[in-house]
Amino acid sequence: MEIPINNNEPLVMHIDLNSCYAIIEQQANELIRNKAVGIAAYDSPGGFIIASSYEARKYGIKLMRNKEARQILPNIIIMTPDPEKYFDAHRRFRRVLERYTSDVTPKSIDEFVVDFRGSRAIQDGKSLVDIGMQIKKDIKESLGEYVTVNIGIAPNRFLAKVAAGMDKPDGLDVIRGEDIMNIYGQLALTDLPGINFRYQARLNIAGIFKPLDFLDAPMPKLKKEVFKSVVGYYWYLRLRGYEVDGEKFKTKSFGNDYAVGDKTSDRDKVNKLIMKLCEKTGRRLRKHDYEAHGIQMSIAFENGAWWGQSKRTHAPIYSTQDIYFSCIRLIRRLEYPARVTKLSISVFDVAPATPRQLGFFDGTRMDTKSLAIAADEINDRYGEYTVVPATMANMQDTIIKRVPFGSVRDI
Amino acid sequence: MKQKINEEVSVVMYYSAKKKHAQPHLLHWQNRDYNVGKIGYEHSYMEGRDKQHIFEFVDTEKSLWFRLRLDSGNLHWILEAVHDGNPN
Repeated sequence: MEIPINNNEPLVMHIDLNSCYAIIEQQANELIRNKAVGIAAYDSPGGFIIASSYEARKYGIKLMRNKEARQILPNIIIMTPDPEKYFDAHRRFRRVLERYTSDVTPKSIDEFVVDFRGSRAIQDGKSLVDIGMQIKKDIKESLGEYVTVNIGIAPNRFLAKVAAGMDKPDGLDVIRGEDIMNIYGQLALTDLPGINFRYQARLNIAGIFKPLDFLDAPMPKLKKEVFKSVVGYYWYLRLRGYEVDGEKFKTKSFGNDYAVGDKTSDRDKVNKLIMKLCEKTGRRLRKHDYEAHGIQMSIAFENGAWWGQSKRTHAPIYSTQDIYFSCIRLIRRLEYPARVTKLSISVFDVAPATPRQLGFFDGTRMDTKSLAIAADEINDRYGEYTVVPATMANMQDTIIKRVPFGSVRDI
Repeated sequence: MKQKINEEVSVVMYYSAKKKHAQPHLLHWQNRDYNVGKIGYEHSYMEGRDKQHIFEFVDTEKSLWFRLRLDSGNLHWILEAVHDGNPN
């Protein structure tokens, strides 16, 4: 059965902050406005640029090493990220949007979806374009005069994101059902959100080379031949403007990773880094009042080798020590084939930690849960890392706070 | 180029009862007074129990950008960094 294009009124808005980290730095420091700016995890030549200003993007500077960016543009200003400032900007951004409706979903630190269906503003007869223009003004008032946003309005989240990408920077575009064919005609497959080069290759194999081919593809073909799952059906609906991306996912895991700047194969040094990652993961797990029942760990080595393992646990994982000793058990027999370049740790299968189950060792020296709660209280009161496991001593400047990609649950 | 400073500095602060807002007005650093220009960005975060207020601005002569922190626990001002607007 063929499903027609959704011609309902476009009431979903996608808003993203232009070049988020770079523009916030330019807002904070007017001496670097209208200049090429790159935000990199480290300012050393090997540091990696994670965001760049529009002035830098004009020269093709996006995701690359600082030394490569400097080869293209020797005058580029490289800065390290300021996570607390970006978290603050995210919260202000959100507060502006919540003035209009409560149905505001953050997609990442610099992207929101606002669903105006059934909202008061629409019931009052306001146009979404007027609301969008007002949001742009409000954001300038709240975050600063240099900050601009792209706004896309469409019948579903997917098309709203396409619209938001059409007129950067500072655009406001609407896609209605009747515009879909025309818009797809101007785009490449990889311009569609969610289609990367790997997906493009898969589509090409099925004879789909352009978004219009994708739109024309019958649903059974997408479902059975291209995606070989229900994903094909979702794409069929998504491309026609129907909402399939509104589901809110539950928290399933917490994790942290670290690209080791000072590569090493010294087990004591690696264990210290593991301990700090475990503390960061444990703090987040406990802040959200969860416990976990599984641990996953992976290590990348300088020679390109990779090791990874995961294990489910009967006993709940809650304290930093629980996480650390689970990790150490996983790597006990591992021989490092080369120096360690990256460490990743995560706990999964999470469930609410309260009501707390009575433990056999409660109130004894083996009671890691009470110790973790007490240490967290001290750190909440006197600052992060006031009390740390002995293994983590003198590591304040290692594995510092970073800006999250995607998830914003810790902001 | 951005330079980390992390020095305590003398600051004249101004509070407007009308706007219900406080902000630095004048900063004394390295034997020189800098008049605070328009605040570019202001935010705060918790360091344990104490709120830290960060003010980022360029002086009225547009010579330098400053990142100034007010520790609400002891009301000390710390000049955390300066930037001259030039590449590193």
